[in-house]
Amino acid sequence: MGEYRTQMKIIGDILSTTRDDLQDEDGATVTYLIRKANISHSRISTLLKTLVSQGLLERGDYQGSNRYKISQSGREFLQAYNSFTKFADNFGLNI
Amino acid sequence: MEFLLENILNFVGFLVGLAIGIMSYIGFRNTGSPTLFRLTIAFLAISLGFFVIWSGYMLEDFVIKSGSIERGIQTVGIVIQTVGYFFIAFSHSIKSFFPKSNYFRSVGILPLFLVSTVQLEHIFRSISFILLVYGAIETMLSYRDNKNKGAISVSVGLGLLAFGEFLGWYSFVFPESMLYSISMIIKIVGLIALFIPVSKVPLKRIKFDDDLDKI
Repeated sequence: MGEYRTQMKIIGDILSTTRDDLQDEDGATVTYLIRKANISHSRISTLLKTLVSQGLLERGDYQGSNRYKISQSGREFLQAYNSFTKFADNFGLNI
Repeated sequence: MEFLLENILNFVGFLVGLAIGIMSYIGFRNTGSPTLFRLTIAFLAISLGFFVIWSGYMLEDFVIKSGSIERGIQTVGIVIQTVGYFFIAFSHSIKSFFPKSNYFRSVGILPLFLVSTVQLEHIFRSISFILLVYGAIETMLSYRDNKNKGAISVSVGLGLLAFGEFLGWYSFVFPESMLYSISMIIKIVGLIALFIPVSKVPLKRIKFDDDLDKI
């Protein structure tokens, strides 16, 4: 049985992929993020819209397809997310 | 001796609860996580509870000078702490607080019957004990998943607070014994164990960012 992931964990996975695991410097495609974050297309579309509107991801256009890169705010959020994941782990909790 | 230990315990509890509560709040502000929000309420309530009792002792020591703390203040402090322990248990989901099995239901309310003839304070001490034991067990079980050694320390801390609570509650049977003093020392050690892993979490370079609140 798969591990249950909170929305926060999925966001963390998407941001981690766009920071550490890009195919190339132009950013990640939606298909690539779906595979890496293991999430459905409809769900990732909503999340990507939210993340772009919050300024955590930057959307670019490369050869007719949307590409996503992490922004400076996204990096700060991810750093906070990683720190507080460890913090919550100490209490046996997921953030 | 008891008076001094009581002061140390409540002051340490106030500081540890405040520190963890503030860290949780910073985490909530940065990530918007509901878990961190519940931890914020939990630890600020625990901190406030210890502060109320500590204030009661200070008031008694420097103003009233009657020789014992006002019972009402002590009870209010313990009730506030119990709210904090409830939120820690609640964060681990509420499954064993409202267990499906009739057997566990009866065991869960047993301490309330045991102390039904004594003061409200003892009822809340027994509730705190149940919540702390639950929190300690759940935290220890989480170690299987995350292998985070900090979880062991937090679990031991919650367990020691529960054991101290139990001894403190039980000491009314033997009022002249050392049980109450021992219970306070155990609780102080528990609070320190609770704080050790939290103090190691790297919180440098994290800043508030209002734009991230809505995520």
